[in-house]
Amino acid sequence: MSLPTLAAFADEFTPASQSELARFMAENATIQQRVLYPVGGRTALHYGFPANVPGVAISTSKLTQVIDYPARDMTITVEAGIRIETLAEILKQERQRLPIDVPQAHRATLGGIIACNTSGARRLGLGTLRDYVIGISAIDAAGSLFKSGGRVVKNVAGYDLCKVLVGSLGTLGLITQVTLKVRPIPEATRWLWASFSDFDRIEPVLQGLLQSATRPIAIELLDPFAATEISAEARTELPTSGPVLGIAFEGSQRETDWQLETVRHELEAHRPNQLVTTPESDTEALFNALTEFEIAAEEPVTFKVNMVPSRTVEFCKLAAGLGVSLQSHVGNGIVIGHLPDSITTVQAAVACLDTLRAFARKSHGNLIVLDCSEEWKALLPQFGDAEPSWTLMQRLKRQLDPADLLNRGRFVFPAFATGSA
Amino acid sequence: MSVSAPPRHVFGREVLRQLKDIVGETGLLSQPEELLVYECDGYTIEKQVPDVVVFPTTTDQVVRIVRLCHELKIPFIPRGAGTSLAGGSLPVGGGVMISLTRMKKILEVNLRDRYAVVEPGLVNVHLTQNLKGSGYHYAPDPSSQGACTLGGNFATNSGGPHTLKYGVTVNHVLGAEMVMPDGEVVTLGGPAEDNPGLDLTGLFVGNEGTFGIATKIWVRLTRDPAAYRTMLGIFETVEAATQTISNIIGAGIVPAALEMMDQGIVEALEAAFHFGFPLDAGAVLLIEVDGLEVAVDSEAHTIIEICNRSGAREVRQANTPKERLLLWKCRKQAFGAIGRLSPSYCTQDGVVPRTKLPEILKRITESGLRHNLRIVNVFHAGDGNIHPIILFDERDKDQVRRVLEASDEILDACIELGGSVTGEHGIGVEKISFMSKLFTPADLQTMLAVRVAFNPTNLCSPQKMLPTAGACGTEQIERTGVRAAM
Repeated sequence: MSLPTLAAFADEFTPASQSELARFMAENATIQQRVLYPVGGRTALHYGFPANVPGVAISTSKLTQVIDYPARDMTITVEAGIRIETLAEILKQERQRLPIDVPQAHRATLGGIIACNTSGARRLGLGTLRDYVIGISAIDAAGSLFKSGGRVVKNVAGYDLCKVLVGSLGTLGLITQVTLKVRPIPEATRWLWASFSDFDRIEPVLQGLLQSATRPIAIELLDPFAATEISAEARTELPTSGPVLGIAFEGSQRETDWQLETVRHELEAHRPNQLVTTPESDTEALFNALTEFEIAAEEPVTFKVNMVPSRTVEFCKLAAGLGVSLQSHVGNGIVIGHLPDSITTVQAAVACLDTLRAFARKSHGNLIVLDCSEEWKALLPQFGDAEPSWTLMQRLKRQLDPADLLNRGRFVFPAFATGSA
Repeated sequence: MSVSAPPRHVFGREVLRQLKDIVGETGLLSQPEELLVYECDGYTIEKQVPDVVVFPTTTDQVVRIVRLCHELKIPFIPRGAGTSLAGGSLPVGGGVMISLTRMKKILEVNLRDRYAVVEPGLVNVHLTQNLKGSGYHYAPDPSSQGACTLGGNFATNSGGPHTLKYGVTVNHVLGAEMVMPDGEVVTLGGPAEDNPGLDLTGLFVGNEGTFGIATKIWVRLTRDPAAYRTMLGIFETVEAATQTISNIIGAGIVPAALEMMDQGIVEALEAAFHFGFPLDAGAVLLIEVDGLEVAVDSEAHTIIEICNRSGAREVRQANTPKERLLLWKCRKQAFGAIGRLSPSYCTQDGVVPRTKLPEILKRITESGLRHNLRIVNVFHAGDGNIHPIILFDERDKDQVRRVLEASDEILDACIELGGSVTGEHGIGVEKISFMSKLFTPADLQTMLAVRVAFNPTNLCSPQKMLPTAGACGTEQIERTGVRAAM
């Protein structure tokens, strides 16, 4: 992973409470007008365009209170600086969880993963953060604390600003408090892995899975390099003799056992090279290794592609042919890839990403850069090709942050305010 | 009881001519008797006829209509089937009503990528009917699904009984083609997940028509469950039933649906459908689990155990698909059966945390007693989404006054218990006065800023959702009558 852009953070402020932060931001908006960079666990500072304007890093590390956890309502309200691992431990005591796969969970914060819309393999069966954030409080650039949603699981009062804050990269407001819908921890989790001689064999398998008697909660496609790496990391055997498909089930012991057996029979019809059932004792380590894959690389560029699921295998074939090591949430049309070491110049990276992006664009998707070196950032379109809807996003940004104080220039809107620093 | 802000625009023949040029003679209604149908939606208390109703058949026609309104500063409002229960399609201040009901095509069904592209006027159930046999369906199932449109569902973020497990409309919308209030066409999202940038799709779902008009919607398709088990838990008291709901959810079980009906509504349903509901029970729970054949029996078994432990008199199971469908028909037509109980009724759509259901039900009963009103209940218990139905005779002014007081009391109690005033019906014009009880001035200011970003002139669905006067500045409607429903 490249070093995060910290150079521009000339200063840092760590509020002890949400109201202290609101006061700080109100004062900043009226007097200094410094650019503010929200930081949580600092696990994703490399994401987005670099922070070019000197400003103040706002750390949520002291905003970690659990406000309310009515476990029997299956909701929890916490401050945004809480670490994901801590949150998971609290929920686990009630046999509950937030079923989002988060890399570096011991560092990453809830506010941070919401700002980045972090997701992983389970998204196929369990959705993403937009499905779990039911209430949110944030402070806008002028220091005004606002909330949207509430603490009940069904609520259509007012505009749903939770949705637009998820994935907003801290550009619309600094998220301070969140109410989540949570789920019970399932009794069992099982993984079945199958390798095939080449990518061309995979699409029919996926089409079969769409009519399967089973209901997987994750379908992962790995190239042999990624499979080798994940297998080593999780210390569990994965087949690596070709592209590898992993299928996961969660639920009661009885239903996961039945699904594993059923899908095994279904897969056998597609003549895989190898079939491996992950021992139950290894499933957690395996999920962790899959989740950490996107940040585990030393490679020059890590990217994420989205597209319609039906085009994903073909994309993986193209990317693997270019030496990309990749993991795909193939049921969702998402691919995480690391460009190979052989790409040593930014020109080569641009050329490679252009090819991949062009494919994604033809498949209703786009390509974003998750991580690359500082020097390359300006030359690689971090969020892919612009879409007409970006102008609407810009209009929203200008309404909520007219002086462009929050994470200026780091997201899809080009910096529009100048002069302050 | 019809009150509205006076129209501030001048609506002349020339405008009518221009609109006719766009939609043709048959695509426009402007005679007073024709317009009467459009004076309200499922919320019948406040009424206002539009100056004209147009029926575009293409996105291009919508664009031309909206541009014309934008240029002439005429308010306009989209309308689906008019099943909204909160006055979401009330044309406050008159203007042009854009009815989307002639844009009802299914443009694409893509089972491989699990989505469909539909026009906004498509009736909800027609999509699922079209998918029959494919192994897929569209999950959100409002009780009005036989009439309501997907464009309306998009605008109001509709729910339904099965949204307990599967989520509401926003969890099933991938993208939308929007005609913005200035006539610009912008596509948000699309068939692929995770497009870069802000999730405007998520923000636009539930905008109640105030951000523009959806002319094309990408929706997620869901695999049909392999098996169902549908149960009817019969309880002596409402308290025992609500406690059971709390126990089921608290045990970490998420049924596909969990609905409660009290004695009053069961009586009406039995008279209407002769299902064999017990007339002496205090409340019944309609509980459905779905999933794999291998899983549903044990889940049903656990639920039956919880019901019995919580004091159920009896738990019946639907034995055949036909019986299951009849049970659901009863539930979804519950509001229709109310006519047997009283000449008028009014329902609310409050939400409370699920463990607070026993308490809110107690408060509803107290409210009824205090105001000498009969209240019956049929609602989405698993979500904590109540629908108390207050029975009355609208010819009796004193009853009307008491109904209003009781309604307000119930919604205030929902807020007090940590809930919300609407789970699925929306704010519309009906509940505008509650927004400032639920939200702070700063919250509302932010929401207003969001609306201004997309609808700066406030000509598109003016005077909806937010209590603050917008740029257009027309007066807020005064509530003079009683909220009615369905």
